[in-house]
Amino acid sequence: MVSKEEIMKIAILSKLFVADDEIDSLTEDMDKIIQFADTINNAGAEGDDFDNINNLSNVLREDEVVESYDREKILSNAKDQDEGCFMVKNIMK
Amino acid sequence: MNKSKIASLHDMLQNKEISCAELTEKYIEAIDRDNGSLNAYVTVTPETAMESAKTVDKKIADGKEIGLLEGIPMTLKDNISTDGIKTTCCSKILEDYVPIYDATVWDILKKQNAVLLGKTNMDEFAMGSSCETSYFGGAKNPHSLSHVAGGSSGGVASAVGGNIAVYGLGSDTGGSIRQPASFCGIVGLKPTYGAVSRYGLIAYASSFDQIGPITTSVEDAAAVFDAISLHDERDSTSQGRRGAPVCSTLKDGVKGTKIGIAKEYLESLRDDVKKAVLDAAEVYKSLGAEIVYFDLPALKFALPVYYILACAEASSNLGRYDGIRYGFKADNYLNVNDMIKKTRSQGFGEEVKKRILLGTYVLSSGYYDAYYKKAQNLRGTIVNAFKDAFTKCDVILAPTVPMTAFENGHAADDPIETYMTDICTVPVNIAGLPAVSLPCGADDKGLPIGMQLIGNTFDESAILRAAYSYENATDMYRTADFGVRP
Repeated sequence: MVSKEEIMKIAILSKLFVADDEIDSLTEDMDKIIQFADTINNAGAEGDDFDNINNLSNVLREDEVVESYDREKILSNAKDQDEGCFMVKNIMK
Repeated sequence: MNKSKIASLHDMLQNKEISCAELTEKYIEAIDRDNGSLNAYVTVTPETAMESAKTVDKKIADGKEIGLLEGIPMTLKDNISTDGIKTTCCSKILEDYVPIYDATVWDILKKQNAVLLGKTNMDEFAMGSSCETSYFGGAKNPHSLSHVAGGSSGGVASAVGGNIAVYGLGSDTGGSIRQPASFCGIVGLKPTYGAVSRYGLIAYASSFDQIGPITTSVEDAAAVFDAISLHDERDSTSQGRRGAPVCSTLKDGVKGTKIGIAKEYLESLRDDVKKAVLDAAEVYKSLGAEIVYFDLPALKFALPVYYILACAEASSNLGRYDGIRYGFKADNYLNVNDMIKKTRSQGFGEEVKKRILLGTYVLSSGYYDAYYKKAQNLRGTIVNAFKDAFTKCDVILAPTVPMTAFENGHAADDPIETYMTDICTVPVNIAGLPAVSLPCGADDKGLPIGMQLIGNTFDESAILRAAYSYENATDMYRTADFGVRP
């Protein structure tokens, strides 16, 4: 049984707020979902090793400078920007 | 009769029976008329479409040969990035996001002068099975407006099934191409993981996601797959197609092909769906295929394994939405952390938040081993079970969904009940295999039933050949109108 406190802790890790009027129904839903996820622990054996799909391996290339996107274009979707930078509130006082 | 809508329209364009501008205008008119009821498109791009159409018309007027996909009006799911055209993932958090680059698949098709009619509806961040988690409301089923088009690529399926696009590209993480194709009575191909580049596809679960075509015929799916399955250095997991173009072997038949049926796929199906799939097996027998039966007990855990791993990947992938660089940003915040939390809480819908929470839970300290690690090991077991199955058969026949399209609003009630509808589609994504869904009947309300053919890694040609043979041998191919809508 997953508790409200656990959901609140996970919400902090996920950078999400859970409103007071949402917590009961969310805990109920999450409890159902986690119980469902728990069914994998009925699989007796440990299972097989899994690395990745299709046994891919890393592809390496030379680290070369290539042309990238225009700074102005990259900033075009930002709500706040200044002097070619993304802008946020002070992080340090 | 030529069942390929793309080939028919291509011939009409090349023979100057219709100009590309006229064809495009007819589709734009059809969208104006029908999109209000289908809600398939979330962004319509008539100017871009007409511009491409004029380029194609000029080429034809100059006496040049045009490519098969050239000038064919199509659509893209709204999680496939389009330079200068809004790409929202049908989420409030990206409601005004305009990409500054093209996804590789769109880059390929754009260079072939494909005519983009617009971007289509989907479940928010592709998380859902009914298209109803979309911030813009769900897409409707062209066979019955009181039923859903399915999800998550519901908009593409609604548009193609309703003939307000000739074909479209969707993405499939746990069935999101095949399930809506099944619900809308059309064809949906989920390629092998790595066959098609994911560059520019907004990520849900990166080790499951794959882009593929939704079309009205198997031949069209094969043609689009051949065009987009190329290696792309911008996606390190992309390998491209292996072997010859699938179109070249499409008509080779199924004589001697071993078609496998796994008992687990036939459990908890609605009777009419089960009957339709077993009837399809009989059709294959009559075409000279051999049917082999076996067990795939590893499938028992496929659904929880999928939800654990896909949500874990999603919780990481969706960490990037912070309101700083793009997308929605909340007002009235105290500091950066408060801004990020408010942005995410107001910007994501309920289903997305639930999946982020589940993903964070299974990755968090104390739960990692019991959930994430265990699920990864079971993923290995499922991969090996399929490997073993393909020593016994060439292609696996299974239902696509245990039922037909649900009524609007039905999917929202119980989270697990909704997840269960993905039971036949998720194993393919877990193992990275290719699968195609195609119509194989209808229920008593006339809603389409779909079956899927699952192939071994990079063996798209086997499943498409089997799908083509079935389509040719039956009258399941419904969209007999090869011109444009009246």
